[in-house]
Amino acid sequence: MAKRITIDPITRIEGHLRIDCEIEGGKVTNAWSSGQMWRGIELILQGRDPREAWIFAQRICGV
Amino acid sequence: MTTDDFKGIKARLGDISRRDFMRYCSIMAGALGLSTGLAPRIAQAIADPKRRPPVIWLHGQECTGCTETLLRPSHPSLDSLILDIISLDYHETLCAGAGQQAEASLAQSMRENAGKYVLIIEGAIPVKDNGIYCKIGGKTFLSLVEEVAAQAGAIIAIGSCAAWGGIPSAHPNPTGATSAPEVLKGKTVVTLPGCPPNPYNLLSTVVHVLSFGKLPKLDSLGRPTFAYGRLIHENCERRPHFDAGRFAEKFGDEGHRLGYCLYKLGCKGPVTHANCPEIQFNDLGGGTWPVGTGHPCFGCAEKGVGFTIPMFTQVEVLSPTPFARQAPIIPERPVPVSPITAALAGGALGLAIGASAVALRKLKDSPDDPDHPVKED
Repeated sequence: MAKRITIDPITRIEGHLRIDCEIEGGKVTNAWSSGQMWRGIELILQGRDPREAWIFAQRICGV
Repeated sequence: MTTDDFKGIKARLGDISRRDFMRYCSIMAGALGLSTGLAPRIAQAIADPKRRPPVIWLHGQECTGCTETLLRPSHPSLDSLILDIISLDYHETLCAGAGQQAEASLAQSMRENAGKYVLIIEGAIPVKDNGIYCKIGGKTFLSLVEEVAAQAGAIIAIGSCAAWGGIPSAHPNPTGATSAPEVLKGKTVVTLPGCPPNPYNLLSTVVHVLSFGKLPKLDSLGRPTFAYGRLIHENCERRPHFDAGRFAEKFGDEGHRLGYCLYKLGCKGPVTHANCPEIQFNDLGGGTWPVGTGHPCFGCAEKGVGFTIPMFTQVEVLSPTPFARQAPIIPERPVPVSPITAALAGGALGLAIGASAVALRKLKDSPDDPDHPVKED
Protein backbone atom coordinates (compact mmCIF):
# COMPACT_ATOMS: atom_id res chain seq x y z
CA MET A 1 0.00 0.00 0.00
CA ALA A 2 1.55 3.26 -1.09
CA LYS A 3 1.99 6.02 1.46
CA ARG A 4 1.09 9.53 0.41
CA ILE A 5 2.93 12.62 1.62
CA THR A 6 1.69 16.16 0.97
CA ILE A 7 3.92 19.21 1.45
CA ASP A 8 1.86 22.40 1.30
CA PRO A 9 3.00 25.16 1.32
CA ILE A 10 6.44 24.73 -0.23
CA THR A 11 8.35 27.62 1.35
CA ARG A 12 11.32 29.74 0.20
CA ILE A 13 9.87 30.12 -3.30
CA GLU A 14 7.73 32.73 -4.98
CA GLY A 15 4.13 31.61 -5.33
CA HIS A 16 2.02 28.89 -3.80
CA LEU A 17 3.24 25.38 -4.55
CA ARG A 18 2.03 22.03 -3.30
CA ILE A 19 3.85 18.72 -3.75
CA ASP A 20 2.16 15.34 -3.37
CA CYS A 21 4.31 12.19 -3.32
CA GLU A 22 3.40 8.54 -3.36
CA ILE A 23 5.96 6.39 -1.57
CA GLU A 24 6.27 2.62 -1.77
CA GLY A 25 9.07 0.56 -0.21
CA GLY A 26 11.01 3.72 0.75
CA LYS A 27 10.99 5.06 -2.82
CA VAL A 28 8.98 7.78 -4.47
CA THR A 29 6.86 6.05 -7.07
CA ASN A 30 4.74 8.95 -8.19
CA ALA A 31 4.66 12.71 -7.57
CA TRP A 32 2.52 15.70 -8.48
CA SER A 33 3.24 19.40 -8.21
CA SER A 34 0.45 21.93 -8.35
CA GLY A 35 0.27 25.70 -8.33
CA GLN A 36 -2.24 26.72 -5.68
CA MET A 37 -2.84 30.28 -6.87
CA TRP A 38 -4.23 31.71 -10.10
CA ARG A 39 -4.75 35.34 -11.05
CA GLY A 40 -5.76 34.95 -14.71
CA ILE A 41 -3.20 37.41 -16.08
CA GLU A 42 -3.75 35.82 -19.53
CA LEU A 43 -7.36 37.02 -19.39
CA ILE A 44 -6.45 40.41 -17.88
CA LEU A 45 -4.06 41.09 -20.80
CA GLN A 46 -6.66 40.48 -23.51
CA GLY A 47 -7.79 43.57 -25.37
CA ARG A 48 -5.18 45.93 -23.85
CA ASP A 49 -2.80 48.28 -25.64
CA PRO A 50 0.22 46.04 -26.45
CA ARG A 51 2.55 48.86 -25.40
CA GLU A 52 1.50 48.39 -21.79
CA ALA A 53 1.48 44.58 -21.74
CA TRP A 54 4.82 44.60 -19.93
CA ILE A 55 3.31 46.35 -16.91
CA PHE A 56 1.21 43.26 -16.30
CA ALA A 57 3.44 40.47 -17.64
CA GLN A 58 6.46 41.74 -15.70
CA ARG A 59 4.51 41.30 -12.49
CA ILE A 60 3.76 37.60 -12.95
CA CYS A 61 6.77 37.07 -10.68
CA GLY A 62 8.50 39.79 -8.65
CA VAL A 63 11.54 37.77 -7.63
CA MET B 1 20.74 56.73 24.17
CA THR B 2 23.57 55.44 26.32
CA THR B 3 26.68 53.76 24.97
CA ASP B 4 25.54 50.48 26.56
CA ASP B 5 22.24 50.65 24.67
CA PHE B 6 24.16 51.19 21.49
CA LYS B 7 26.38 48.15 22.13
CA GLY B 8 23.25 46.02 21.87
CA ILE B 9 22.33 47.67 18.55
CA LYS B 10 25.81 47.15 17.19
CA ALA B 11 25.78 43.47 18.15
CA ARG B 12 22.51 43.04 16.27
CA LEU B 13 23.04 45.23 13.24
CA GLY B 14 26.73 44.64 12.62
CA ASP B 15 29.14 47.31 11.50
CA ILE B 16 27.32 50.58 12.15
CA SER B 17 28.67 53.60 14.01
CA ARG B 18 26.65 55.28 16.77
CA ARG B 19 26.71 58.49 14.76
CA ASP B 20 25.32 56.73 11.66
CA PHE B 21 22.64 55.05 13.73
CA MET B 22 21.50 58.32 15.32
CA ARG B 23 21.56 60.03 11.94
CA TYR B 24 19.42 57.19 10.61
CA CYS B 25 16.90 57.71 13.42
CA SER B 26 16.79 61.44 12.65
CA ILE B 27 16.09 60.69 8.98
CA MET B 28 13.38 58.31 10.12
CA ALA B 29 11.78 61.04 12.24
CA GLY B 30 11.92 63.37 9.24
CA ALA B 31 10.39 60.72 6.97
CA LEU B 32 7.53 60.36 9.44
CA GLY B 33 6.95 64.09 9.33
CA LEU B 34 8.06 64.45 12.95
CA SER B 35 10.58 66.69 14.65
CA THR B 36 14.11 65.32 14.53
CA GLY B 37 14.10 66.00 18.27
CA LEU B 38 12.15 62.74 18.55
CA ALA B 39 15.08 60.75 17.10
CA PRO B 40 16.36 59.65 20.56
CA ARG B 41 12.94 58.21 21.36
CA ILE B 42 12.96 56.29 18.09
CA ALA B 43 16.51 55.09 18.78
CA GLN B 44 15.42 53.90 22.22
CA ALA B 45 12.49 51.96 20.79
CA ILE B 46 14.67 50.26 18.18
CA ALA B 47 17.33 49.49 20.80
CA ASP B 48 14.92 47.71 23.13
CA PRO B 49 14.71 44.06 22.04
CA LYS B 50 11.81 43.43 24.43
CA ARG B 51 9.53 45.53 22.25
CA ARG B 52 9.89 43.35 19.15
CA PRO B 53 6.34 42.73 17.96
CA PRO B 54 5.55 39.27 16.57
CA VAL B 55 4.68 39.52 12.88
CA ILE B 56 2.70 37.07 10.76
CA TRP B 57 3.15 37.72 7.05
CA LEU B 58 0.60 36.13 4.72
CA HIS B 59 0.92 35.79 0.96
CA GLY B 60 -2.13 35.77 -1.28
CA GLN B 61 -2.40 36.67 -4.95
CA GLU B 62 0.99 38.32 -5.21
CA CYS B 63 4.30 38.11 -7.02
CA THR B 64 6.51 38.40 -3.89
CA GLY B 65 7.73 41.74 -5.25
CA CYS B 66 6.75 43.42 -1.96
CA THR B 67 8.94 40.98 -0.02
CA GLU B 68 11.74 41.46 -2.54
CA THR B 69 11.65 45.23 -2.24
CA LEU B 70 12.08 44.78 1.50
CA LEU B 71 15.04 42.41 1.18
CA ARG B 72 16.86 43.95 -1.77
CA PRO B 73 17.81 47.46 -0.73
CA SER B 74 21.53 48.03 -0.91
CA HIS B 75 21.44 50.07 2.29
CA PRO B 76 23.37 47.84 4.69
CA SER B 77 20.98 48.04 7.56
CA LEU B 78 17.47 48.44 6.19
CA ASP B 79 16.53 44.78 5.82
CA SER B 80 18.43 43.85 8.99
CA LEU B 81 16.76 46.74 10.80
CA ILE B 82 13.30 45.63 9.74
CA LEU B 83 13.99 41.99 10.50
CA ASP B 84 15.61 43.01 13.77
CA ILE B 85 12.88 45.24 15.18
CA ILE B 86 10.19 42.66 14.49
CA SER B 87 9.96 38.98 15.25
CA LEU B 88 8.96 37.45 11.94
CA ASP B 89 7.18 34.29 13.02
CA TYR B 90 5.66 33.24 9.71
CA HIS B 91 6.60 34.23 6.17
CA GLU B 92 6.31 31.66 3.38
CA THR B 93 9.26 32.96 1.39
CA LEU B 94 11.56 33.07 4.42
CA CYS B 95 10.35 30.13 6.55
CA ALA B 96 13.00 27.50 7.23
CA GLY B 97 10.37 24.75 7.50
CA ALA B 98 7.79 23.81 4.89
CA GLY B 99 4.39 22.16 4.83
CA GLN B 100 3.13 21.13 8.27
CA GLN B 101 6.17 22.61 10.05
CA ALA B 102 5.44 26.06 8.60
CA GLU B 103 1.75 25.80 9.43
CA ALA B 104 2.65 24.74 12.98
CA SER B 105 4.76 27.90 13.51
CA LEU B 106 1.82 29.99 12.30
CA ALA B 107 -0.57 28.28 14.72
CA GLN B 108 1.93 28.61 17.58
CA SER B 109 2.50 32.34 17.04
CA MET B 110 -1.26 32.96 16.83
CA ARG B 111 -1.82 31.04 20.07
CA GLU B 112 1.02 32.63 22.04
CA ASN B 113 0.55 36.20 20.79
CA ALA B 114 -3.21 36.42 20.44
CA GLY B 115 -4.30 40.05 20.30
CA LYS B 116 -0.69 41.31 20.05
CA TYR B 117 0.73 40.18 16.74
CA VAL B 118 0.95 42.32 13.64
CA LEU B 119 -0.61 40.79 10.54
CA ILE B 120 1.00 41.88 7.28
CA ILE B 121 -0.92 40.90 4.15
CA GLU B 122 0.83 40.80 0.79
CA GLY B 123 -1.38 40.09 -2.21
CA ALA B 124 -5.05 40.32 -3.07
CA ILE B 125 -7.71 37.98 -1.73
CA PRO B 126 -9.73 36.09 -4.37
CA VAL B 127 -13.35 35.74 -3.25
CA LYS B 128 -14.99 34.33 -6.39
CA ASP B 129 -16.13 30.68 -6.21
CA ASN B 130 -15.62 30.64 -2.41
CA GLY B 131 -11.96 31.68 -2.70
CA ILE B 132 -10.61 28.58 -4.47
CA TYR B 133 -8.13 30.58 -6.57
CA CYS B 134 -5.59 30.77 -3.76
CA LYS B 135 -5.06 27.99 -1.23
CA ILE B 136 -2.40 27.45 1.41
CA GLY B 137 -2.11 24.18 3.29
CA GLY B 138 -5.54 23.18 1.98
CA LYS B 139 -7.27 26.34 3.29
CA THR B 140 -8.49 29.17 1.09
CA PHE B 141 -6.57 32.39 1.51
CA LEU B 142 -9.89 34.10 2.24
CA SER B 143 -10.54 31.90 5.27
CA LEU B 144 -6.91 32.20 6.41
CA VAL B 145 -7.00 36.02 6.32
CA GLU B 146 -10.27 36.11 8.29
CA GLU B 147 -8.92 33.64 10.84
CA VAL B 148 -5.55 35.36 11.41
CA ALA B 149 -7.04 38.88 11.34
CA ALA B 150 -9.54 38.00 14.07
CA GLN B 151 -6.77 37.87 16.73
CA ALA B 152 -4.39 40.48 15.24
CA GLY B 153 -3.29 43.57 17.19
CA ALA B 154 -2.67 45.53 14.01
CA ILE B 155 -3.16 44.81 10.32
CA ILE B 156 -1.00 46.17 7.50
CA ALA B 157 -1.85 45.61 3.82
CA ILE B 158 1.44 45.97 1.95
CA GLY B 159 1.49 46.65 -1.78
CA SER B 160 -1.28 47.63 -4.18
CA CYS B 161 -2.76 44.09 -4.41
CA ALA B 162 -3.51 43.93 -0.69
CA ALA B 163 -4.26 47.67 -0.37
CA TRP B 164 -6.79 48.03 -3.18
CA GLY B 165 -6.71 44.92 -5.39
CA GLY B 166 -3.79 45.74 -7.71
CA ILE B 167 -3.08 43.67 -10.82
CA PRO B 168 -5.26 40.63 -10.01
CA SER B 169 -8.28 42.95 -9.68
CA ALA B 170 -7.66 44.56 -13.10
CA HIS B 171 -10.45 44.14 -15.65
CA PRO B 172 -12.05 41.59 -15.98
CA ASN B 173 -10.89 40.50 -12.49
CA PRO B 174 -11.19 36.77 -13.28
CA THR B 175 -10.87 35.59 -9.67
CA GLY B 176 -12.82 38.26 -7.79
CA ALA B 177 -9.54 39.64 -6.37
CA THR B 178 -10.39 41.88 -3.40
CA SER B 179 -8.36 44.13 -1.11
CA ALA B 180 -7.71 43.43 2.56
CA PRO B 181 -9.74 46.47 3.77
CA GLU B 182 -12.77 45.26 1.80
CA VAL B 183 -12.52 41.70 3.12
CA LEU B 184 -11.88 42.90 6.68
CA LYS B 185 -14.61 45.55 6.81
CA GLY B 186 -14.91 47.20 10.19
CA LYS B 187 -11.24 46.64 11.10
CA THR B 188 -8.49 49.24 10.86
CA VAL B 189 -6.17 48.20 8.04
CA VAL B 190 -3.06 50.29 7.35
CA THR B 191 -2.55 50.31 3.58
CA LEU B 192 0.84 50.83 1.97
CA PRO B 193 0.03 50.75 -1.76
CA GLY B 194 2.66 50.72 -4.49
CA CYS B 195 3.86 48.14 -6.96
CA PRO B 196 6.27 47.64 -5.36
CA PRO B 197 5.66 49.72 -2.23
CA ASN B 198 8.61 51.55 -0.77
CA PRO B 199 10.15 49.50 2.05
CA TYR B 200 10.90 52.69 4.03
CA ASN B 201 7.17 53.28 4.38
CA LEU B 202 6.76 49.90 6.08
CA LEU B 203 9.81 50.50 8.25
CA SER B 204 8.59 53.99 9.21
CA THR B 205 5.12 52.67 10.08
CA VAL B 206 6.54 49.90 12.29
CA VAL B 207 9.00 52.28 13.95
CA HIS B 208 6.17 54.74 14.63
CA VAL B 209 4.18 52.02 16.40
CA LEU B 210 7.23 50.96 18.42
CA SER B 211 8.19 54.51 19.38
CA PHE B 212 4.81 56.01 20.17
CA GLY B 213 2.61 52.98 20.82
CA LYS B 214 0.07 53.92 18.15
CA LEU B 215 -0.42 53.88 14.41
CA PRO B 216 0.66 56.92 12.39
CA LYS B 217 -2.07 59.25 11.15
CA LEU B 218 -4.04 57.59 8.35
CA ASP B 219 -6.22 58.98 5.57
CA SER B 220 -9.69 57.62 4.71
CA LEU B 221 -8.14 54.80 2.67
CA GLY B 222 -5.87 53.71 5.54
CA ARG B 223 -2.74 55.22 4.00
CA PRO B 224 -0.26 56.88 6.38
CA THR B 225 -0.34 60.60 5.59
CA PHE B 226 3.42 60.97 6.10
CA ALA B 227 3.91 58.87 2.96
CA TYR B 228 0.72 59.32 0.92
CA GLY B 229 -0.40 62.81 1.87
CA ARG B 230 0.86 64.43 -1.32
CA LEU B 231 0.56 63.80 -5.03
CA ILE B 232 3.68 62.70 -6.89
CA HIS B 233 3.17 65.76 -9.11
CA GLU B 234 3.58 68.05 -6.08
CA ASN B 235 7.11 66.91 -5.30
CA CYS B 236 8.27 65.80 -8.71
CA GLU B 237 11.80 66.87 -9.68
CA ARG B 238 10.44 67.64 -13.18
CA ARG B 239 7.63 69.89 -11.91
CA PRO B 240 9.44 73.10 -12.97
CA HIS B 241 9.34 71.84 -16.57
CA PHE B 242 5.57 71.26 -16.25
CA ASP B 243 5.07 74.76 -14.87
CA ALA B 244 7.19 76.24 -17.65
CA GLY B 245 5.38 74.28 -20.36
CA ARG B 246 8.38 72.17 -21.36
CA PHE B 247 7.22 68.66 -22.26
CA ALA B 248 8.60 65.51 -23.82
CA GLU B 249 6.19 64.93 -26.72
CA LYS B 250 7.36 61.41 -27.54
CA PHE B 251 9.94 58.95 -26.29
CA GLY B 252 13.43 59.80 -27.51
CA ASP B 253 12.66 63.35 -28.74
CA GLU B 254 14.78 66.30 -27.70
CA GLY B 255 12.53 67.21 -24.77
CA HIS B 256 12.69 63.63 -23.50
CA ARG B 257 16.47 63.61 -23.72
CA LEU B 258 16.64 66.95 -21.94
CA GLY B 259 14.62 65.59 -19.02
CA TYR B 260 11.44 67.59 -19.61
CA CYS B 261 8.07 66.83 -17.99
CA LEU B 262 6.53 63.49 -19.01
CA TYR B 263 2.89 64.57 -18.57
CA LYS B 264 2.08 64.40 -22.29
CA LEU B 265 3.42 60.83 -22.42
CA GLY B 266 0.69 59.83 -19.97
CA CYS B 267 2.37 60.47 -16.60
CA LYS B 268 -0.06 59.71 -13.74
CA GLY B 269 1.90 61.77 -11.20
CA PRO B 270 -0.86 64.42 -11.13
CA VAL B 271 -3.40 61.90 -9.74
CA THR B 272 -1.24 59.52 -7.70
CA HIS B 273 -0.55 59.92 -3.99
CA ALA B 274 2.88 58.61 -2.97
CA ASN B 275 6.27 59.79 -1.76
CA CYS B 276 8.31 58.21 -4.59
CA PRO B 277 9.99 61.49 -5.65
CA GLU B 278 11.15 62.21 -2.11
CA ILE B 279 12.50 58.87 -0.95
CA GLN B 280 13.03 57.11 -4.30
CA PHE B 281 14.16 53.49 -4.54
CA ASN B 282 17.09 51.17 -3.89
CA ASP B 283 19.30 53.69 -2.08
CA LEU B 284 21.11 54.46 -5.31
CA GLY B 285 20.92 58.23 -5.08
CA GLY B 286 19.13 60.80 -7.22
CA GLY B 287 16.91 59.72 -10.08
CA THR B 288 16.18 56.12 -9.10
CA TRP B 289 12.43 56.18 -9.51
CA PRO B 290 10.32 55.85 -12.66
CA VAL B 291 10.13 59.54 -13.65
CA GLY B 292 13.83 59.96 -12.79
CA THR B 293 14.69 57.27 -15.34
CA GLY B 294 12.62 58.97 -18.03
CA HIS B 295 9.44 56.90 -17.83
CA PRO B 296 6.06 58.38 -16.93
CA CYS B 297 4.54 57.32 -13.62
CA PHE B 298 1.74 54.87 -14.34
CA GLY B 299 0.01 55.35 -11.01
CA CYS B 300 0.71 51.92 -9.51
CA ALA B 301 -0.15 53.12 -6.00
CA GLU B 302 -3.53 54.69 -6.74
CA LYS B 303 -6.79 52.78 -7.00
CA GLY B 304 -8.60 53.53 -10.25
CA VAL B 305 -5.37 54.71 -11.90
CA GLY B 306 -2.69 51.99 -11.91
CA PHE B 307 -3.52 48.99 -14.14
CA THR B 308 -6.79 50.81 -14.93
CA ILE B 309 -6.20 54.01 -16.94
CA PRO B 310 -4.12 53.09 -20.02
CA MET B 311 -0.48 54.08 -19.69
CA PHE B 312 -0.43 56.64 -22.54
CA THR B 313 -3.70 58.34 -21.65
CA GLN B 314 -3.33 61.86 -20.27
CA VAL B 315 -5.04 62.59 -16.97
CA GLU B 316 -6.67 65.71 -15.59
CA VAL B 317 -4.32 67.68 -13.35
CA LEU B 318 -5.65 67.76 -9.78
CA SER B 319 -3.26 70.43 -8.49
CA PRO B 320 -2.82 73.18 -11.09
CA THR B 321 0.01 75.62 -10.60
CA PRO B 322 -1.23 78.74 -8.83
CA PHE B 323 1.63 80.85 -10.16
CA ALA B 324 0.24 80.63 -13.66
CA ARG B 325 -2.71 82.77 -12.52
CA GLN B 326 -0.76 85.09 -10.26
CA ALA B 327 2.27 85.98 -12.30
CA PRO B 328 2.85 86.42 -16.01
CA ILE B 329 4.78 83.48 -17.37
CA ILE B 330 6.67 83.35 -20.63
CA PRO B 331 6.88 79.69 -21.50
CA GLU B 332 10.34 78.81 -22.66
CA ARG B 333 10.09 76.13 -25.27
CA PRO B 334 12.83 74.65 -27.43
CA VAL B 335 12.91 76.32 -30.84
CA PRO B 336 11.64 73.75 -33.32
CA VAL B 337 14.32 72.73 -35.80
CA SER B 338 13.01 72.74 -39.37
CA PRO B 339 14.93 71.06 -42.23
CA ILE B 340 15.80 74.52 -43.61
CA THR B 341 17.31 75.81 -40.34
CA ALA B 342 19.15 72.49 -39.93
CA ALA B 343 20.64 72.89 -43.41
CA LEU B 344 21.62 76.49 -42.67
CA ALA B 345 23.23 75.43 -39.38
CA GLY B 346 25.09 72.68 -41.25
CA GLY B 347 26.29 75.20 -43.81
CA ALA B 348 27.47 77.55 -41.06
CA LEU B 349 29.33 74.69 -39.42
CA GLY B 350 30.99 73.89 -42.75
CA LEU B 351 32.07 77.53 -43.10
CA ALA B 352 33.48 77.53 -39.60
CA ILE B 353 35.52 74.39 -40.24
CA GLY B 354 36.83 75.89 -43.46
CA ALA B 355 37.79 79.11 -41.70
CA SER B 356 39.70 77.32 -38.97
CA ALA B 357 41.57 75.26 -41.55
CA VAL B 358 42.67 78.47 -43.22
CA ALA B 359 43.73 79.92 -39.87
CA LEU B 360 45.85 76.84 -39.14
CA ARG B 361 47.55 77.13 -42.49
CA LYS B 362 48.28 80.77 -41.83
CA LEU B 363 49.80 79.85 -38.48
CA LYS B 364 52.04 77.36 -40.18
CA ASP B 365 53.05 79.95 -42.79
CA SER B 366 53.92 82.55 -40.15
CA PRO B 367 57.60 83.25 -39.40
CA ASP B 368 59.15 80.86 -36.91
CA ASP B 369 59.20 81.95 -33.32
CA PRO B 370 62.88 82.58 -32.51
CA ASP B 371 62.37 81.33 -28.93
CA HIS B 372 60.79 78.05 -30.13
CA PRO B 373 62.50 77.10 -33.35
CA VAL B 374 60.80 74.29 -35.24
CA LYS B 375 63.19 71.37 -35.53
CA GLU B 376 63.61 69.88 -38.97
CA ASP B 377 63.62 66.07 -39.11
